[in-house]
Amino acid sequence: MIIKLERIEVTSTRELQMIDITPEVERVVGESGVRQGMVFAMTAHTTSSLLVTEGIECLERDVPAHLERLAPKQPPEGSYGYYHNRYLDFDGRLGFNAGDHLKSILGGIGCFFPIENGKVVRGRRQTVYFVEYDGPLARTVFVQVIGQA
Amino acid sequence: MTGGIDFHTHPVLVREMIARYPELERAARETYRVGNNFQPLRVMLLEMDLAGIERAVVLPIDARTSRQATVYSNEQIRELCNMSERLIGFASVDPRGPDAPHDLTHAVKALGLRGLKLAPAMQEFFPNDRKAYPVYERATELRVPVLFHAGMSWEPGSRLKYGHPMHFEDVAADFPKLPIVLAHLAWPWVVDAVALALKYPNVYLDTSALAFDNPTDFLRYAMTQQVPLTVFERSLRRQLVFGSNYPRIEIRAVAKAVRSLGFSEECLELIFRINAETLLGERP
Repeated sequence: MIIKLERIEVTSTRELQMIDITPEVERVVGESGVRQGMVFAMTAHTTSSLLVTEGIECLERDVPAHLERLAPKQPPEGSYGYYHNRYLDFDGRLGFNAGDHLKSILGGIGCFFPIENGKVVRGRRQTVYFVEYDGPLARTVFVQVIGQA
Repeated sequence: MTGGIDFHTHPVLVREMIARYPELERAARETYRVGNNFQPLRVMLLEMDLAGIERAVVLPIDARTSRQATVYSNEQIRELCNMSERLIGFASVDPRGPDAPHDLTHAVKALGLRGLKLAPAMQEFFPNDRKAYPVYERATELRVPVLFHAGMSWEPGSRLKYGHPMHFEDVAADFPKLPIVLAHLAWPWVVDAVALALKYPNVYLDTSALAFDNPTDFLRYAMTQQVPLTVFERSLRRQLVFGSNYPRIEIRAVAKAVRSLGFSEECLELIFRINAETLLGERP
């Protein structure tokens, strides 16, 4: 049994952004030596997601835009507010990102794929995205490979 | 609008500097207290890009007497500024130390730093303490502005009493040729800070005020309800500079908030660029 964990860094350049990390996940699997098994990927953060969807530019616009509509950073005036919009003494800064936490919950934080003959098994259109809701930031994604050589 | 300047940032999360100086991690976590992950300098520059900010003033704090610590030394600020021409380095000196005027001269003349940051609450001194006057005299001689932390203070152990605007009046009056910036609008004492700025043309305010809610709602409260926006627009347009207090809040969020308040485009140009350039001696 092989179990390997790698941390990959993803740097977002915009506030809302989808970044294709499929090649990185496949690289980690390829270097792991696992022939039959599973790969799990998970964002290390609570204002980002890992999503699997079709890898086309139009969806890279639509997905974060829709999540922003569902959980806006700043709700429409007079509608509702976030309790998280307050100074967090333990963190030394303002918690001005409740909407981004909510988008992370809606989008989910991880995904998994089977591994067969040393390759990631995924649908032809399935692309693994890191989704940034509070960028720009340097982020960490955990990728763990479990299986047999 | 191009060429904006953020007059108030703390580079405490810059990963490259933490790697070179591990003691800066303790300064960030304990002395300054911020819990966010360390980030490459590139992220701060990206943040500036998204906010429409070309350059940023990076501030150290010399609290050797009160905290036995510096949150960046002047030399470290110089080193950081060497990594990007978009950063403008300020110095800090310990006003309770005997070498403060000399340290300031060294920082300006030898290191090329362009202003002085003092944090009375963290450094535990009243700004009108006569022991600090030699520092102000030297700053006046060197023609560099002084940015004071004013108003509420978040750092552990700091006392709010040192940040009340009235403690700055003697400095403003006794050093009329010394530009002084009261940071954070001196919140919650915005009215007092505005009174000082109205009376003393060498008193500036920066916009990095944020204590609750979110940047837009908070600044709307401080700059339209505590004091009417017209006072800033009509009377203090040349004494207000954009500052974010990054990384306690994102630069883009504060910039968006300031731009949402209803200032004229001409006034926004003064706030975001021209007034800072004047303080830095880049224009008459």
